[in-house]
Amino acid sequence: MSNRTLTLMMGVVAFLILVVGIVFVIAVVGGGGGGGSSNTASAPKTSSGVTGDICQGNTLVTFGEDPASILDPIQVRDVGTSEYVVEIFGGLVTLDLNLTVQPDIAASWKVSPDGKAYTFTLRDNVVFQNNRKVTAQDVKYSLERAADPANNSPTVTLYLGNIVGLLDRYNGKAKDVSGVKVIDDKTVEIDLVQPSDYFLAELTQPVGFVVDQQQISQDLRNWTQHPNGTGPFKLSQFTPADKIVLTRNDHYHLGVAKLDSVVFELGGGSLLTRYQNNELHIGAVPAIDLEAVKNGTSPLSADYKPQPEMSLSYIAFNTKQAPFDDPLVRQAFAMSIDRDKINTVLLYDTQRVATSILPPEMPGHNDQVTGYSYDPAKAKQLLAQSKYAGKMPHIVLTYAGAGGDAPEILQAIQAGWQDALGITVDLQASEYSAYLRDLRKGTYQMFDAGWAADYPDPEDFLDKLFASDSQQNEQGYVNPAVDALLKQARIETDRTKRFALYSQAEQQILNDAAIIPTFWPIDHMLVKSCVQNWPSVSMTVPKYRYISIDASKEK
Amino acid sequence: MGAGLFGYAIRRLLWCIPVLFAVSVIVFTVVRMAPGDPVDTLLGQRYDPVVAARLRHKYGYDQPIYEQYFTYMNNLFHGDLGVSTRHQDFTVKQVVLPKMWVSTQIGFYAMIITFLLGIPVGVYAALARGTFLDPLIISSWLLLDAIPVFVLIPVAQWFFAARLGIVGLGYEGVYSSHMILPILIVGLTGVAGVARLMRASVITVMGEDYVRTARAKGLRETTVIITHVARNALLPMVSIIGLSLPGLVAGDLFVEQLFGIPGIGQESLQAVLAPDFDVVLFFVLLSSTLFVLANVVFDLLYGVIDPRIRIGEARG
Repeated sequence: MSNRTLTLMMGVVAFLILVVGIVFVIAVVGGGGGGGSSNTASAPKTSSGVTGDICQGNTLVTFGEDPASILDPIQVRDVGTSEYVVEIFGGLVTLDLNLTVQPDIAASWKVSPDGKAYTFTLRDNVVFQNNRKVTAQDVKYSLERAADPANNSPTVTLYLGNIVGLLDRYNGKAKDVSGVKVIDDKTVEIDLVQPSDYFLAELTQPVGFVVDQQQISQDLRNWTQHPNGTGPFKLSQFTPADKIVLTRNDHYHLGVAKLDSVVFELGGGSLLTRYQNNELHIGAVPAIDLEAVKNGTSPLSADYKPQPEMSLSYIAFNTKQAPFDDPLVRQAFAMSIDRDKINTVLLYDTQRVATSILPPEMPGHNDQVTGYSYDPAKAKQLLAQSKYAGKMPHIVLTYAGAGGDAPEILQAIQAGWQDALGITVDLQASEYSAYLRDLRKGTYQMFDAGWAADYPDPEDFLDKLFASDSQQNEQGYVNPAVDALLKQARIETDRTKRFALYSQAEQQILNDAAIIPTFWPIDHMLVKSCVQNWPSVSMTVPKYRYISIDASKEK
Repeated sequence: MGAGLFGYAIRRLLWCIPVLFAVSVIVFTVVRMAPGDPVDTLLGQRYDPVVAARLRHKYGYDQPIYEQYFTYMNNLFHGDLGVSTRHQDFTVKQVVLPKMWVSTQIGFYAMIITFLLGIPVGVYAALARGTFLDPLIISSWLLLDAIPVFVLIPVAQWFFAARLGIVGLGYEGVYSSHMILPILIVGLTGVAGVARLMRASVITVMGEDYVRTARAKGLRETTVIITHVARNALLPMVSIIGLSLPGLVAGDLFVEQLFGIPGIGQESLQAVLAPDFDVVLFFVLLSSTLFVLANVVFDLLYGVIDPRIRIGEARG
């Protein structure tokens, strides 16, 4: 009995294994063969082993991040997801490759003399991707939808909180946003609580984008899987963790894209090998190859494109805790980091030492504004004058990480303090969400941090990180003089005067050593020679419509 | 015998209910009590207490934990697996199931390779015991197993894709020539383990009386090996195969990461780190349910195959 059953079972298992194996082989061979014969004409699909053919088609293949939210502009909160959303949707205004605000759905706008009312005139030729014309009503719907408490947008109060009545709508106290008024079909007025020269920059954020009311009301649950925006590209495929494919929107009003489509590979994988295998147009240089790529000894050097990031890495002090409540201690710490040496020795000179807070790409960046440079002798002197001279408490620097060895840069900084000041700082890793929470509670003495720009305006760095009433001021930094300058700048509508105010504030913040700016990071990209007009832009802006592929430029 | 086996099966299955209930309570509590907060992670540096409170309410995190548990279980029984906070507002179904299916298929094909090769290799090594072939065979497979996959994979990718150009690397679906390399790597690195177990099992069986009897009867050696030795030596393999099946839904982090396969390995790691409550819960609950069920099913199968092992029947 048992033997017969066993024989039967083994037979069934063997049969199953055989069947599955055969199906797999057929699928692979058949799929590969079929693909090979039918796809030889459409070059973008890389068939294995054939090199160089990605330059024949008109599809750009690059890599991207798995979206951290659905592709709904009012839910987007990270750079990775914005990359797709800014190509699919558009708003009244947009940013060009120089990070200047340009008209998008609006053709022009007028600002009232008190700077509180913006009147936008819409273009005549803007349509959604399904060819329906965009009207002022769509703009109002989109902004009110962003503020609708039922939609729980994580970003609307942050970027559009200055619109009259928006917070009332968000908090459920009003049925609409009173500050957004439809004048006629092609005119819309937006009223602000306070005049703001950076309002238009904020309006370029996804949360201000225009969406299609008809589509959303018809397909509330799934519309983000085939969104109907006004951007230069349509979403034609989205498989989470695998692929996003955008195809050209032929109705686009600011100049139709040159590419047929852009494929974002989301899976990660061995990007460099795949780049070398001609499966991707765009790659990234891994840290280990950076030196060779940078100094020209690698075959990849010709494709190397450094791309500055509009962001800042810094070491922050908790100015409310000992010993960093004493500015002299902070200054001494700031003067004992040799960032140039760290850059040369550890980073192959690939990063930019941050001499101030605002990155060089930021409008309002001022070369005259500088923080403390490396001066260990002076640092020692300042420390001796501080109230903690001779009774320095134990210091811990916290960073977000998973444990193990601290990043090399932090270890080098730690060694710098040890050498110059004779102070041993302990490095401590903390899990990311706990790190964020403890930052807000003000638990840490000192922490490693970074800030990436939301929109190109000094307000986004200086006001958000250093105003005493800002949620993001995790240093607990309070300087009434700086607060006064920042408040004045918020409502100053003359740009030159406003940037001068920010320069003053920035210099004061650096003098107080509220933080130690370390680096303005650079991304190390690889771009195939057949890709034309790859823009080196430091923020997420619509950029793929400028790019083309020219097989004759292939090396 | 039929009624006894049936009763035994029912009893075993009923026992699963309290086990799974306990698992769900423990997992739910541990996930909720873990240090991370999904809303903190979701808002990141742009934290605003008003927005955070709104989001906590939206996801129900402001409720007492037992109410959250009942809501979760109630939704679960209605087929609603919850929403992901890491992939804000994607449902768990959308996030987890497609990735799990990809991992399962790849893992399944790899497993077939592992056992299809491992079993004959093990039998052969056992028969070759005492000669140089036995250690040679086992250790050559062990060599493959001993190299960590995160070393093996980049080398294999460089050699087969960049150097020889015979395979592509990007993910283009499970049924694509690009998946040959990952499946082979996962499959072949497991061969040594199976082969060693099979070898040990064969050696034990070869010492049994009935094998000696079979030989004494004058049966041909091939017949002895195939019908008496191999068949009995395969018995332990049944439970090994059975218990590795539920593991297939967990995916293989390194392989998926290095080949850019949209599998569940990376997702589950990120979900734990975020933390993404509903994704972690579903993942753990599904894994434990499958494991508990596989245990029961293969215990029962064992009983069918070999009546000596039917533990429950003697008692009931």
